[in-house]
Amino acid sequence: MKTPSEDHDLIRFLDGEMSDAERASFEARMAADPMLNSEVTMMQRMSADLRTHLPAEMPVPYADFFNSQIQVRIAQEEPVTLPAARSSWLDWLRIPTLITAAAAVAIGGFMILQKQNQPANNSVVHSIYVPNPAVQARSFHSAEAQATVLILDGVEAMPADRKIVGFHVERTESDQEVATTTLFGESGQILAVVAKDARNQPRLLSANPRG
Amino acid sequence: MKLASTLALWILTLGCVKAQQPVAPPVESLPAVKPATDGKVWGALVYATNDIKGLTGSTEVAPIDFADIPGRLGMVFPFQRFEILGQHLQDVFREYESWVVPTKDLFLKVDSKGPADGGGMNLHLQFWRDQQVLVKTDAVLKEGSPLFIGGPKWREGQLLFVLVLQKSR
Amino acid sequence: MPASTAPESGEVSDSDLVKRCQAGDTRAFDVLVNRYRGKVYAMTYHMIQNETEAWDLAQEAFIKAWRAMPNFKLDSAFYTWLYRITHNVTYDWLRKKKIQGDGEFDDSHTDHRVAAGAEAVARHEPAPDTALKNAELGARIHEAIAKLSPDHKQVILLREVEGMAYEEIAEIIPCTLGTVMSRLFYARKKLQEMLKDTYENAL
Repeated sequence: MKTPSEDHDLIRFLDGEMSDAERASFEARMAADPMLNSEVTMMQRMSADLRTHLPAEMPVPYADFFNSQIQVRIAQEEPVTLPAARSSWLDWLRIPTLITAAAAVAIGGFMILQKQNQPANNSVVHSIYVPNPAVQARSFHSAEAQATVLILDGVEAMPADRKIVGFHVERTESDQEVATTTLFGESGQILAVVAKDARNQPRLLSANPRG
Repeated sequence: MKLASTLALWILTLGCVKAQQPVAPPVESLPAVKPATDGKVWGALVYATNDIKGLTGSTEVAPIDFADIPGRLGMVFPFQRFEILGQHLQDVFREYESWVVPTKDLFLKVDSKGPADGGGMNLHLQFWRDQQVLVKTDAVLKEGSPLFIGGPKWREGQLLFVLVLQKSR
Repeated sequence: MPASTAPESGEVSDSDLVKRCQAGDTRAFDVLVNRYRGKVYAMTYHMIQNETEAWDLAQEAFIKAWRAMPNFKLDSAFYTWLYRITHNVTYDWLRKKKIQGDGEFDDSHTDHRVAAGAEAVARHEPAPDTALKNAELGARIHEAIAKLSPDHKQVILLREVEGMAYEEIAEIIPCTLGTVMSRLFYARKKLQEMLKDTYENAL
């Protein structure tokens, strides 16, 4: 069994973190130990493959929106986080300008930012992200209905012959160990279980379709 | 809890195989520590239509607290009839995701981002149709101010999702 | 200089931009976001391997960096500081995910049981075409990385992908140099076990 220092020697050699003397000594050990030599070779190949297949930098999807959403959020936070930093009255102009500019950004119509001047007791939609580029989303506040509305335009229609399976969920139980949520109906019967698949997407197993 | 959910999955599996047993029996839940919650939301899937003959015949009725919701939907969406197809009153867990599943077809994942200034909750919402996320949004949900989501068209009308924060009692 | 995207000649330095941010200049922060978003996103993506969640986490890291900007003393490189924040944001997410029971990693406490406990990634038949072979290897590497614990994933990514020195990794995590070396060793051993088919056939 190897000692921790021998393990450290191996990775320090691989990572080029050894002095010349240490390196020479380790290379001598490799020459005398075919297994060690083979392990080093394998690890070197693996490191090279990791670097090839895991890029250090990746293009950010919807990069402009990525930036503009950050700008909106930090503009909203600015009075709280940096109270002493505002040095000029002109800075007061910057916040609404930023918000307006960012809210005007609609990257291919996929994503929209919201900044709504609403009374404090209204619900607010701050940001919207729509993965499907064919879908456009917008939100507004209806004073008449006293509701916040999120509209999805371009969503594929539900097939007319599809029977919508409605539930009346009275209570749920979540099991964090297996990441499931069990939905119970009015009589205590199980209606469905929400689980997740390997891609972290929900899978709904329905027991009692109706409606 | 684990036993209950395992049992539930087992029953559902049997239910899928044996069509002649459409209703799953009641299951006694095991005592468990209830996770911390930030509030409670009511979610409903509503079929909006002008075609009275095309109504599904659902008998779902909104709880008394939210009885005015169909009327308020009529102030936003250009339909005359608003039929609740399914509904779900759900705790919003502080540490875990919560699911609001009024129907098998359209449902919502809710993540609490903590209480909002001046009351209400900061939420991250994901609106799912089967295994496809239609929209993700960061929102503040306030009492008495519902969120209406205009979803896909269906038959002669449209499916709407309603999310309301229940008043703290 | 491994992970730093040192500004090119004529560009404003990170430290100048940081000072402008600390004076409340959000445009300066936008420049920093432009400069590092690709790296931060790559890190969150490699850690959790989910595009939309990685996008959200990368954004969260920048927002937390902005909030923490008044307290940043410029005693380390901006990118090191930013990566530390990204690490924390991602680690919190993974911890929450693990609490929720999705935990795909199970080697958090098995540092000294590598060979016995390591699970080999399913072996695939070799593809005749080199491009296909590369794609297959890439997929297997992603699969193997996904099976590492957050601690091991982190050191591997910081070392192999970002090319950081041990001291930089120790500063970001933060931990001792010895811990960095140990984690790197065991992370590599696990990867080696999981990818052994690939390399044994090739050697």
